[in-house]
Amino acid sequence: MKNLYIKLTFICCLFLMACENEEWLERQPQNIITDEQLWNDPQLIKSLLANYYNRIPTLHGVFNTGGMAELDDAMWSGHQDQNWRNDFQFGDDYGRYWDYTYIREINLAIENIDQYSVELSDEEKDLFKSELRFIRAFIYFELVKRMGGVPIITEQLIYDFSGDPSSLQIPRATEQEVYDFIYNEMEAIKDLLDANSSSQTRANKFVALALESRAMLYAGSIAKYNAEMGSPISTDGGEVGIPSGLANEYFAKSLAASQEIINSGGYEIYNENPDKGANFYELFMQKGNSEIIFAKDYTLSLKIHWFTYDNIPRSLTEDNESSSNLSPSLGLVESYDYLDGSEGTLRYQTAAGDYIAYDNIEDIFANKDARLYGTIVYPGTTFKSAPVSIQAGIAVWNGDTYEFRNAPNLGDNYDDGQLWTGFDGPQDNARDVSNTGFYMRKFVSEAPGASTRGVAAENWWPWFRLGEIYLNAAEAAFELGRGEAVGYINTLRERAGFPANSLSALTTEIIRKERRVELAFEDHRYFDLKRWRIAHEVWNGSDTNEDALVYGLYPYRVVRDGHEDDGKYIFNKVRPTRFRQPRFFRMANYYSSIDPNVLNNNPKLVRNPFH
Amino acid sequence: MKNYIIYILLGTALVFGACEYDNYEEPQAILYGQVVYDGQAVGVRTNGPQLELWQDGYELSKNIPIFIAQDGTYSVSLFDGEYKLVRKAGAPWLAELSDTIIVNVNGHTEFDVPVTPYFSLHDETYQAGNNTVSVTFNIDQVVDAAAIQEVNLYLGYSVLTDQNKNEHIAGADISNITLGGQNNIQATIPEHLQDEEYLFVRVGVRSNMSGEFSYTEVQKLDI
Repeated sequence: MKNLYIKLTFICCLFLMACENEEWLERQPQNIITDEQLWNDPQLIKSLLANYYNRIPTLHGVFNTGGMAELDDAMWSGHQDQNWRNDFQFGDDYGRYWDYTYIREINLAIENIDQYSVELSDEEKDLFKSELRFIRAFIYFELVKRMGGVPIITEQLIYDFSGDPSSLQIPRATEQEVYDFIYNEMEAIKDLLDANSSSQTRANKFVALALESRAMLYAGSIAKYNAEMGSPISTDGGEVGIPSGLANEYFAKSLAASQEIINSGGYEIYNENPDKGANFYELFMQKGNSEIIFAKDYTLSLKIHWFTYDNIPRSLTEDNESSSNLSPSLGLVESYDYLDGSEGTLRYQTAAGDYIAYDNIEDIFANKDARLYGTIVYPGTTFKSAPVSIQAGIAVWNGDTYEFRNAPNLGDNYDDGQLWTGFDGPQDNARDVSNTGFYMRKFVSEAPGASTRGVAAENWWPWFRLGEIYLNAAEAAFELGRGEAVGYINTLRERAGFPANSLSALTTEIIRKERRVELAFEDHRYFDLKRWRIAHEVWNGSDTNEDALVYGLYPYRVVRDGHEDDGKYIFNKVRPTRFRQPRFFRMANYYSSIDPNVLNNNPKLVRNPFH
Repeated sequence: MKNYIIYILLGTALVFGACEYDNYEEPQAILYGQVVYDGQAVGVRTNGPQLELWQDGYELSKNIPIFIAQDGTYSVSLFDGEYKLVRKAGAPWLAELSDTIIVNVNGHTEFDVPVTPYFSLHDETYQAGNNTVSVTFNIDQVVDAAAIQEVNLYLGYSVLTDQNKNEHIAGADISNITLGGQNNIQATIPEHLQDEEYLFVRVGVRSNMSGEFSYTEVQKLDI
């Protein structure tokens, strides 16, 4: 009994003691990171930043094989279920983009740093906030490129539950205001990013200037070329369209930003390999080279992409499916000039319409701009040090004309014991093999296993590189009538194998062609044609307009006993069967339509023209 | 066993009973007509220009697109009611976004939509022979601010012949076009079409104010 009392007393004491120490119950949760923890820990902030960097938007870029197959530079030759890419018109909502969730997250992050960060130094806070503002400006640039002026929202919008949401309904800013916003943001943050100056995957001063260079060039050309249209695309409130008087001011801003990058000395045009073609290819594959200003990086087993699996030449794939989804077009191949400065049109027929025979299959591509080799795998070249086997079939002389015969299977030999159709095609109306006679080289990795789904590729995506800055500088200087413009283009052409100072003067056409060949598949062409206001003429949807179509060039081996051309190669231009509809860009596509749900939620939004 | 059958009957009745309620009635009314200028239908590109209908009185609004056939006719299934019709941009006629037309749809309703094309084509006559097709036509300027960008004669295999779908285009020299008067385009029939018995022909004109052409009616021409 006495024992029992002692025990009871003891237990009661325990309870009383426990109750007194209330702090013991207040523990940090193990499965939630609080705002105080997050915004005071640079490591955690960096992982959040990595998420935001990873979500930077793009239309046809960042290894988007499908998107790249929707313009005039290539067609889709992968699985049949995506053949709509060869048989579609740009819809009213093509390129529509409206991601205010992403913008809100960034606005919230900027506010939280101000509110919660107490252990970070002012420099660290400025760095993180500036990076966030760079990403936000990049999103606004993507929005204005596609939609025109959009509501500029730089703080979180909080609903007060009053039943009246009108304070949250922000009207669209003008197109001009959005471009000015991007410029002012970049000017404000560019000197706060010093800590990142050695990084190529986080925003630094020159990344901010590169965005400025590109955005101001867009604003200038929209101001200039929109006004030159028969009926300029604009709205009364300026949500779409920039006054033409502002063009030169924007061009000057773009040029100043470009020149600051070029003259900084921190970046160099990549020129390491004396083989100019291989050099241009390596520019994209050698990580850390000093031409790349800002890139999205990948690393095996952690973050990979399937661009090589998608696009490696058929005979070289290490996987059992896919390969060869993109077939680059003859139009792109022909836009690469000859090194002597003449037009890049391939000479496969005489003026009289007779086929021209070449001793070697690659001879027709001799003396072309080296960027052709660096961008496209054409007949007679190698990939991964292995020769590609591109030959459509044989051309048999029937006494009157050539008869083109294709083998039933890729890689078959003809009766004479020699190759009939190559292992890499091209084959018309076929899947996972080139339909045009060309394959992708740019961005396709030669690393072992890169074309398998298990390993995949880790080459990075260049958002900005010095080559583009040279082109931006050339275009802006040319628009301003300044003499230095031609020098920038000549530098790039010299890197591509042309002699020094190969051009003495520029024209609009030369600048536009240089951008097409230098920046092919880098998510520029669609937006370039839009800002020059020529997309509706180049892609006019007409079957009789070669610019709107994708053609192929099929090589054939000549079988003609006793004739001097026997065993040589001739080439035939074809329109691939799988390419069904000419590219058709309407006036309505210059600015995408805004989602009707968005319009319903915010009656203050003005609709875009034509929608 | 008896219970079992009752349950099955009950279940079946529920399933069939439910069907009555979860479907909307399909729209019964039809609005049809053509786009007209000066009493004449305006030909367009197939799957090209559109009109738009809106209906007020609902919380959320969404446009109802009207597709126009190549001969300028249209038809759309609707519910009875009052609609607002908009002649939107992206067509060979003036966009009149603020000047909506009220249309009362009641059953089978015919309504011709008046439009103002930038240029109007009429009185076309075709002649074929010696592997050529020639056409004479009149062209009137309707909108003063517009300028002619292209005038073309189209040859095609089918009634769907226009700027995008055609077998041959013959362009006219713009500097020689007489506005308000008679004009002529001559086309040599390309080799691959010469063995045809007939072709479909039409003339189209595009102003600098729009990406779309307005066309004459398609005609079948023996060659």
